[in-house]
Amino acid sequence: MAVELVPRAAALRQVCDESADVKSFTFEFMDSSTLSSLPGQFVEVSLPGVGESTFAVSRLEDGGRRFHVSVKRMGHVTKALHRSAAGETIFVRGPYGKPFPVAAWKGKDILVIGGGIGLAPLRPVVDHILANRADYGKLDILFGARTPGDMIFQADLAAWGRDPGIKLVKTIDVECVDWDGCVGLLPNVVKQQAYRPDGSIAVVCGPPVMIRFTLAALRELGWPDEQVYTTLEMKMQCGIGQCGRCNIGGKYVCKDGPVFRLDQIPSVAL
Amino acid sequence: MPWKKLAKSDLPAFLAELSTRAELIVPQEKSGKVRFLPFDAAQPVNFPSSLVDVSLKSVFFPKRRPVATFDPADRTKLEPAAPETSPRILLGAHPCDVAAVNYVDRVFIHSSFKDPLYEAERNRTTIIGMACSEMKPECHCTDRDLSPDDERGMDAVFYETSDAYLFRALNDKGAAILKSSLLKETSEEPQKKDWPGGKYPVDPSSLPSADDSLLSPPSSLFQDIADLCLTCGACTFACPTCTCFLISDEQHEGRGERVTAWDSCQFSGYSRMTGGHNPRKTRAARVRNRMLDKFVYTVEKYGATSCVGCGRCAIICPVGRHFPKEIAELSAKAKGR
Repeated sequence: MAVELVPRAAALRQVCDESADVKSFTFEFMDSSTLSSLPGQFVEVSLPGVGESTFAVSRLEDGGRRFHVSVKRMGHVTKALHRSAAGETIFVRGPYGKPFPVAAWKGKDILVIGGGIGLAPLRPVVDHILANRADYGKLDILFGARTPGDMIFQADLAAWGRDPGIKLVKTIDVECVDWDGCVGLLPNVVKQQAYRPDGSIAVVCGPPVMIRFTLAALRELGWPDEQVYTTLEMKMQCGIGQCGRCNIGGKYVCKDGPVFRLDQIPSVAL
Repeated sequence: MPWKKLAKSDLPAFLAELSTRAELIVPQEKSGKVRFLPFDAAQPVNFPSSLVDVSLKSVFFPKRRPVATFDPADRTKLEPAAPETSPRILLGAHPCDVAAVNYVDRVFIHSSFKDPLYEAERNRTTIIGMACSEMKPECHCTDRDLSPDDERGMDAVFYETSDAYLFRALNDKGAAILKSSLLKETSEEPQKKDWPGGKYPVDPSSLPSADDSLLSPPSSLFQDIADLCLTCGACTFACPTCTCFLISDEQHEGRGERVTAWDSCQFSGYSRMTGGHNPRKTRAARVRNRMLDKFVYTVEKYGATSCVGCGRCAIICPVGRHFPKEIAELSAKAKGR
């Protein structure tokens, strides 16, 4: 039996600059196997001699033959990844974790709220809805970033903005010339937009403090916890519920999450 | 299965015989502490009346364990480590340590992702356990659903008498090891004892669960303990059921290894994320995590508490924290709440 902690070799096919400190990487496994990842699942990406880190899958192509992760330059693994170029060999294992239950959301309106790099795990949710458009109701996307330059996935934002079936709202933290979107922190914009909970599902991801206050804003607007999902920022390493570090009480973020419905998260996490 | 007797004078010959049949692991003294080591005929074998100083955790889950190798000059291949399959005999493991191994099996074998390296270590090892003949001052296995003569999880067991060891196989694997001309069938049986309990009783159901609002932020109960604690992690390394690990890449002399290495939830860096966010940044939060993990969280995760009552955490603590006493007091307080 294979040692789960030992990853598969993948070829880095493409590197795309998303912002000053975020790049998206497109991989393909060397053995031609596919990544059967569902929206919200994550992978462990590593460079031998540098280390391994956890990243949400930010897009699947061609039935999982190609997959993307979007990486903000932060620590030594992400810095090494940012120095990598197409053609290099990178190691990947997964997918791991519980996905967003998109099949159970059929017939509902969906509100997607992403803050910064937190949009990465949510993009596969949007991709899934767009690929199965008739199965879902209205699609609202709210995306916040510090500055216009921090807006990742520009091509997608442009396409979503043109799509008459999507109501896209973009916001930045502080005012800036030539900006035609909203200005303000996400929790405030959520309240301004007064998103209605009736028969809808909200999915939220971003930095921990953004998640906390955005969830509070949704509660203020009357959203019941059973209709709100988030994918948690908690340190994961092994991805398979063994190394111990991502526990919240008796739950492991990597195994029982990272996607949680709000009423199923122990209060100590928030 | 029948009892078999080994005269104490025949022990060296029996150990020598076992060591020709398989790799033999026995408690021996090194650097002032008794620990489980590969048998060395030049050193005395020391079967303590109870509690070997250092737990046998590392026999199955070494503190540093390569899971793959790579060539630092190439880095395009990761070669998985091969499971070890040669037979091994572990002689002299006490009931608490064997119970701990059975618990650790829940983490690495009976879970959604098996660890084949750990499983191979388990499969290649026959455990000849040893019943304790006394309880040491910090022993409290009887408060943890165990006893000093608990035979669960062993392949064979032995008891020490004044002039001999009485062995009994508990399954076929154990019986195969006990086939030796030095062991003679006997009608003699070890004397059963009544063991005292009640030193540090805990009722897990009385303890607060993680989403108890009283605990967020950690209550004063944990703050008082955290004020004493160094969060040095010594208790987690001494604990036979603590298995948290770090995955890291190491390079020495042209050879690269991806290893799992023991880690501790008591360290502030353990749950600190890139960018600095740390979900357990206070000592109180980390102390709470470990205390509740043993009796509440592992029940949720694996259906079992994970303290076997060995008392090593209290023995090892450099600042005199006494975890068994603390958790018993917490349980009693919580019951009265």
